[in-house]
Amino acid sequence: MNRVTKARLFTIFRYAMLFIWSVIVAFPIFWIVSTSFKPDWEWHAWPPVYWSKEASWVNYQAVWGRPESPRTATEEKTQTARYESASANKPWQALWNSLYIAITATALSVAFGAILAYGVSRYRILSEIRMFQLLVLRMIPPIVVAAPLTLYYSAIHLMDTALGLVIVYFITTLPYSVWMTKSFVDEVPVEIEQAAEILGATKWQAIREVVFPLIRSGIVATFLFILILTWSEYLLSLMLSKVDVVTLPVQLAKYEGSDEGRVYGHQAALAVGITLPLMIIGIFIRKHLVRGFTFGMVKR
Amino acid sequence: MARIELKGLRKVFGRNIEAVKNLDFTIEEGEFVVIVGPSGCGKTTTLRMVAGFEEPTAGEIAIDGRLVNDVDPGDRGVGMVFQTHALFPHKTIAENIEFGPRMKKVPPETRKQKVREVADMVRITHLLHKLPVECSGGEAQRAALARTLITDPAAFLLDEPLSSLDAKLRREMRAEIDRLHEELKKTFVYVTHDQEEAMTLADRIVVMRDGVIEQVGTPLEIYTDPVSYFVADFFGSPSMNLIAGKVESSNGAAAFSGAGIEFKLPDAYAGVSSGDYTLGVRPEHVVVGSQEAAISCDVQLVEPLGKDTLLYFEHGAERPTIAIVEASDRFKAGEQLNVTFDPGHVYLFEPDGTRVR
Repeated sequence: MNRVTKARLFTIFRYAMLFIWSVIVAFPIFWIVSTSFKPDWEWHAWPPVYWSKEASWVNYQAVWGRPESPRTATEEKTQTARYESASANKPWQALWNSLYIAITATALSVAFGAILAYGVSRYRILSEIRMFQLLVLRMIPPIVVAAPLTLYYSAIHLMDTALGLVIVYFITTLPYSVWMTKSFVDEVPVEIEQAAEILGATKWQAIREVVFPLIRSGIVATFLFILILTWSEYLLSLMLSKVDVVTLPVQLAKYEGSDEGRVYGHQAALAVGITLPLMIIGIFIRKHLVRGFTFGMVKR
Repeated sequence: MARIELKGLRKVFGRNIEAVKNLDFTIEEGEFVVIVGPSGCGKTTTLRMVAGFEEPTAGEIAIDGRLVNDVDPGDRGVGMVFQTHALFPHKTIAENIEFGPRMKKVPPETRKQKVREVADMVRITHLLHKLPVECSGGEAQRAALARTLITDPAAFLLDEPLSSLDAKLRREMRAEIDRLHEELKKTFVYVTHDQEEAMTLADRIVVMRDGVIEQVGTPLEIYTDPVSYFVADFFGSPSMNLIAGKVESSNGAAAFSGAGIEFKLPDAYAGVSSGDYTLGVRPEHVVVGSQEAAISCDVQLVEPLGKDTLLYFEHGAERPTIAIVEASDRFKAGEQLNVTFDPGHVYLFEPDGTRVR
């Protein structure tokens, strides 16, 4: 076998592997989307139905479409009504809860993280060992803190409040934002900032004019990373919320053990609703993501 | 224009890393001073203290009589060019140059006008719309110069501005900086580890070593009258031949012997006491093919440089002795030759490095 053939075979092999991997990754997503359009008898059907011939928006209507109206006596046991009890926990409310809790906590975390990261990178306000300790904090299993937190939260009336979740998400994601942003600030040579200063810029102007534009993509990437973490966080949300601030992941789980059995169609419709906002954000900021996540890996 | 005075300047990093020890030195108005020394000698730290990026542990810095220890870098009236040009990568060259005046709230029309002027001065008008990444190393350094020029500083601080350029560009930029100094007649403080840059650019050279000033002088003084082994060795290319050996002194005459060399020292050294010394002689003062010989040995290597030819003699000294002779095909490697030194141009150093005078 000559070199050209070898190289060609290797390329084919590589693409084959990548293709198989893509299928493995993409299949669950496909399955969720597909299930979300299936009528209930196809949810558990064997052989499995991949493309429903009777696809409809029924599941979406059940989850997202109906206001919280009391059930009328005359209402038939329609497909929608039968699974109503599971949906009764207000998917829209959960979406709203998730949105503002995740975005507020993420914004706080990234903002404070960036300030801390700047201080660490430029003034060593935290020693190497402190920075490591910060990261080690994240190795504590969340369940260990969840139980004590429940106690304290009850005592100080933070249980089942948005503020309570924002605080806990802010604190648990701060190490990530400090670490990520620090690596971006480290990449900005200190001479560039000093050049700005000796040209007459104040420290604040130097940061705004020079440092921030250079790390913007990194901050956007950090923002998305932490948003994903908080958006999909389950355990703490489950423990610290009851009725008022149920978030989407907790809402999603309610379909799993409901009295009605497993309402896959509704669950899938909700899951699509959970995934979509992240995908939309991802598409909007993809330019920053590519730059942010490859920062420092490309020789400038 | 600015006169920069450093009084008792000292900088300690961490607990006990003393980068600069008690520096006293005055840079006169319009002077081109080059601070030179090996890495870690404290030259960059000194410059950064003048710029205001490092706070002195002790001592005073005054610019035109005004104490600036507590003045921010931007208010000291100095401009700085960094080793890494430090252009803002997300701004075009024009925006980079415009930065200083913009921070000082100069009206936009005046700014544009001045950008043109300085860009013209360093010949980068064609680059104004480009980003720094699209410029070559030399172009970027010109842009960095322009960015400093536009703020019209009283003194220019240059921190190894040419060390990231290749040899040809370096010479070109060196001439450019020299021309700017001639034109502007401002104070220039230039830090480098390159002795050749120091020799060609400086009005006065400050040689630093281990945080202290070893010698101050014009390039010629430094070259012909080094105060120590260190300075003698640092300046000149190829560097001075330095041969360790002994001096025997008797009856008002002194002779050096070492590494196979027997050399009668000139009368100036008649009074030195016997002991260990190092003999120094510049390659241009090594005489080849004479009647009398300090040593007779083989030419190890012949290195034609075009105008001159270098001859390397291996005779047991730490480094081979080098002689510069006029270019010719007269010498062949392996040939045995008489070698001696011009008695008017030999130096003698004590074991601790100080020069015997």
